[in-house]
Amino acid sequence: MSRLIIRKVAVLGAGVMGAQIAAHCANADVPVILFDLPAREGPANGVVDKALAGMKKLDPAPFAAKDRAQYVESANYGSDLARLGECDLVIEAIAEKMEWKLDLYAKVAPHLRAGAIFASNTSGLSIEALAAGMPADRRNQFCGIHFFNPPRYMPLVELIPTAATDVALLDGLEAWLVTRLGKSIVRARDTPNFVANRVGVFSILAVLHHTQRLGLAFDEVDLLTGPRIGRPKSATFRTADVVGLDTLVHVLGTMQATLPDDPWCAHFRTPEWLQALIAKGALGQKSKAGIYRKQGKQIQVLDLHLQDYRDSGGEVLPEVEEILKLRNPVEKFAQLAAHPHPQAQFLWSIFRDVFHYCAVHLGDIADNARDIDLAMRWGFGWAQGPFETWQAAGWKAVAEMIRDDIAHGRAMSDVALPAWVFERDGVHAPAGSYSAAEDTLKPRSALPVYQRQLYPDRVFGEAADDRGETLWENAGVRLWRRADQDARIGIVSITSKMHAVGEEVMDGLLEAIARAERELDGLVIWQPAPFAVGANLQQVGEACRAGQFDLLEKMVAKFQRTSMMIKHAQIPVVAAVQGMALGGGCEFVMHAAHRVFALESYVGLVEAGVGLIPAGGGSKEFALQAHNLAQRAAGGDVFPYIQNAFQTIAMATVAKSAQEAIALGFGRAGDDVVFNANEILFAAIHRARALAESAWRPALVNPAVTVAGRNGIATCEMMLVNMAEGGFISAHDYRVAKAAATALCGGEVDTNRRVSEQWILDVERAQFVELLKTEKTQQRIAHMLETGKPLRN
Amino acid sequence: MSKQIQDAYIVAAVRTPVARRNGAFRHVRPDDMLAKVLRDVVAKVPGLDVTEIGDVITGCAMPEAEQGMNVARIGLLLAGLPDGVPGITINRFCASGLQAVADAASRIRLGEADVMIAAGTESMSAMPQIMGNKVSLNPEIFARAENLSIAYGMGLTAEKVAQQWKVSREDQDAFAVESHRRACAAIAAGHFADEILPYAVKSYAPGADGTVRITERVVEHDEGPRPDAAADTLARLKPVFAARGSVTAGNSSQMSDGAAAVLLMSEAALKRYDLKPIARFASFAVAGVPPEVMGIGPVEAIPRALARAGVAMADLGWTELNEAFAAQALAVMRQLEMDPAKVNPLGGAIALGHPLGATGAIRTATLVAAMQRDPGLRYGMISMCIGTGMGAAGVIERV
Repeated sequence: MSRLIIRKVAVLGAGVMGAQIAAHCANADVPVILFDLPAREGPANGVVDKALAGMKKLDPAPFAAKDRAQYVESANYGSDLARLGECDLVIEAIAEKMEWKLDLYAKVAPHLRAGAIFASNTSGLSIEALAAGMPADRRNQFCGIHFFNPPRYMPLVELIPTAATDVALLDGLEAWLVTRLGKSIVRARDTPNFVANRVGVFSILAVLHHTQRLGLAFDEVDLLTGPRIGRPKSATFRTADVVGLDTLVHVLGTMQATLPDDPWCAHFRTPEWLQALIAKGALGQKSKAGIYRKQGKQIQVLDLHLQDYRDSGGEVLPEVEEILKLRNPVEKFAQLAAHPHPQAQFLWSIFRDVFHYCAVHLGDIADNARDIDLAMRWGFGWAQGPFETWQAAGWKAVAEMIRDDIAHGRAMSDVALPAWVFERDGVHAPAGSYSAAEDTLKPRSALPVYQRQLYPDRVFGEAADDRGETLWENAGVRLWRRADQDARIGIVSITSKMHAVGEEVMDGLLEAIARAERELDGLVIWQPAPFAVGANLQQVGEACRAGQFDLLEKMVAKFQRTSMMIKHAQIPVVAAVQGMALGGGCEFVMHAAHRVFALESYVGLVEAGVGLIPAGGGSKEFALQAHNLAQRAAGGDVFPYIQNAFQTIAMATVAKSAQEAIALGFGRAGDDVVFNANEILFAAIHRARALAESAWRPALVNPAVTVAGRNGIATCEMMLVNMAEGGFISAHDYRVAKAAATALCGGEVDTNRRVSEQWILDVERAQFVELLKTEKTQQRIAHMLETGKPLRN
Repeated sequence: MSKQIQDAYIVAAVRTPVARRNGAFRHVRPDDMLAKVLRDVVAKVPGLDVTEIGDVITGCAMPEAEQGMNVARIGLLLAGLPDGVPGITINRFCASGLQAVADAASRIRLGEADVMIAAGTESMSAMPQIMGNKVSLNPEIFARAENLSIAYGMGLTAEKVAQQWKVSREDQDAFAVESHRRACAAIAAGHFADEILPYAVKSYAPGADGTVRITERVVEHDEGPRPDAAADTLARLKPVFAARGSVTAGNSSQMSDGAAAVLLMSEAALKRYDLKPIARFASFAVAGVPPEVMGIGPVEAIPRALARAGVAMADLGWTELNEAFAAQALAVMRQLEMDPAKVNPLGGAIALGHPLGATGAIRTATLVAAMQRDPGLRYGMISMCIGTGMGAAGVIERV
């Protein structure tokens, strides 16, 4: 098969989804033309320009770096349709009206280049019906491409082919979406609302139904349906507010209209209280009131008994809380179903009805059970999909409980569970996941792109992953390899809780690198997210309390030695980063020979939050960077680079993407940014191999680093004086930031004095230990350990 | 009145419009602005023998980069003045332009020159950091508590003044609104027409077919004044310099670009050229105050300048008091019991902008133009506060 080349993308429709899909393409270095209607007044591209400007203010940010917006060109259907000819992929994302879409298709079709893919981001309309709006000779290049909101952050894209869609083209598009945009794909069938929304919206309906039936409050239900059952914090009703209550009602209407034969059809209607809210204009977050509203700082929730808002609160019954904490899902579900309290009954009911719904519809809506489970994880942020939850809870027992509830009229529908449910022990097995349509187990996709994912997202019951061959391990790290990938590239994984860096991790890394130097060609530091949350504060806090400052000094010295070992090892050490890499974790990343970042990397030197400064070589690395950058600047002044680093460290700035991490100096321009986090280990092994084969040499330790010295410290201090006098920072903030300035500037030496790297390490270590001795820093550490949040003192 | 050999007279004063930082003059060089006002001021005196110009004294608060290398000399050469005419750049921060006028007058008063030009030029757009292109503080500032205020930002000092002299947020915002109102009214009435000479800004942008597209836009008016300035919108702005402060972007002076030039002569030169002067430079004073309340500086300088001129506050018909911040301007006015109607009748720096070292010369041009319009106006004053704690004031008398 020849490679699918997508040089440029067009997105039609600059609404919430269209604009953000365009932004994400730009994130991935794909230039985009974003179209919308010509503006009625002002510049013709006004509609798109406004959407682009609006995205710069959104949180979480659609753009991964400030400069990305310039790679989205604005255009309008009035004058720019000919430019569609520049694009290899056109994504239509206009309003969900069939006639508007068909109208637009007729208008744009003549301008599409031969071979270009045209795909609709519809969330519910029939793909076959839309395809009919394309000229017959283009229908093989048409499909559904359904992103989830927000498209940068939600992994799921549903790909929906028609009968005519070219198979190779679809495979190529899937590979591109997976690797280039970092998305997770479910191939869906052309059934209403496809997979994730079909199940997800039903799940909301089930929650609505049982909330009302059991007389629970909305805030109470959100407590129950959030992280306690492995779902996002916004749970059900807050999510509805965010999505928009009108949108939710619109989707319900679509289900009612398109699924008249669905056994649950009677439930596809809008509750009266919801209709009343919409009639009042309370549409959720966008109209500042919905099921919740904010009064000053107080969040209020609609109370159906009071027919008014009240302060939001709610409590979970301690007994229910205890059940939810049970580790064994078999016990958990049995106890939930048996407990008489409405909260327990509610939870059992919402699970039961979703299980029931998924079992009945598996054959129509999805190729196999894995697709439904993964769709719910990737599209709705569930920790576990419905089938795997069921299977983990004991397939047969739960099936019997559902059958019993159906028989006694307790379920939302009286339709029987399909016969296959009772013929099996589960839907996921090492050989694959169950397809009800074909009555067989389906293995995972064989597309070559998935060979890059050494540890893909697995469902419960699936074959266990290859953990590779352990070469050495201690309590903090495991040194191993995947001989099937590269037998002479080692992988060292931090195994401590949250991958915090303590003594055992440092000892482990030092030993692992020493072994790798002798026995391997390269080393990758990789562990599933987070990369590392920083130093082990527990150990630091204990030593502080015991007044063991000599010990702490030695601990910091070892931290620095570990960083230096990473940097100056005789083999390339590649850091494969995803999720948080904070504090000491960030310092290890900075010292690696090369970094492979997942796009969603959150990197920062956040020591100031606990009253400390980077002392694992992080300050030294910034001083060294300033020295190197200044070599190329006229005049050779290091201070401008120090000033930026100072602000980054003093404000504990965390980069919110790989690109930002590189821009802030936590990485370098030549580092890899991999959009699919599941590919970073593969990429890092290959990068380590490439370095090993291409004359890579360890960095020299610089004996003559030009530092900003005393004037530099004073100039940083000017900023601090103004912030302290202006009441923006505390006296201790000042002290901590001054220590950071002192380390970054290489200590109280003459400006532009040349010092060794070791001198700077000694300065940062001394500053760190002095801060540890202060009461306020000790309070900050204790507070962080107790609450997980920084203390401002 | 202090003793002097002879009097110095202002014969002509011109200025550019003042543009917002990164506004109309974003790509205009400060040395070009200076050359322009030098040509303009000379052109105001037909028949002037330019070889007689004793010196071109130019104020500039950040004399570096585009306005470095003795911008006075570069500007006068670019203006086409003869090689024989010397130039000197001087710096007293925000009073640099006024200091230039005072120094030019002094040279005449001492009998060292018969014709002098004072000027000021400043492009804040040219400065990536408003404290100059390279900021480097002396560690000694932080070694002793009494030196700390040297490091204070100007906005922070305005907060200190607001606190110490009890200037409320409401008063500051109201003062700012009034500044904009007066400035807009003055523009509408054409009161700046005599002092401003339009500036043709050329811009060079990538054009079609690989050519550079050169366009020209003539700037005639000050860019800063906002007709829509209102107390309720200003009230919504957050304090910038102190968490619980009162000084905002809306009640502070605007960062700007601009230039001005003033031509002065001795009585002998006036006779030789048969010219009637507009005003006599009567007096100048400068004084220091604690750096942390630098905005109060005029309170020390104004009484000295008035005493040297032998003029009472009540005799002043018009004062150009630089509005670095509403807080300090109000504190100064209250402390000295100045009549608000006679202070900045055409608006001040909050509306009109404050191109640091040029402001003194620019406001001299404004005062001179007011004297030309109003025969009843006898004494006028230009005054301002100065960073790190000083004030300056200059008095001129219509003749």
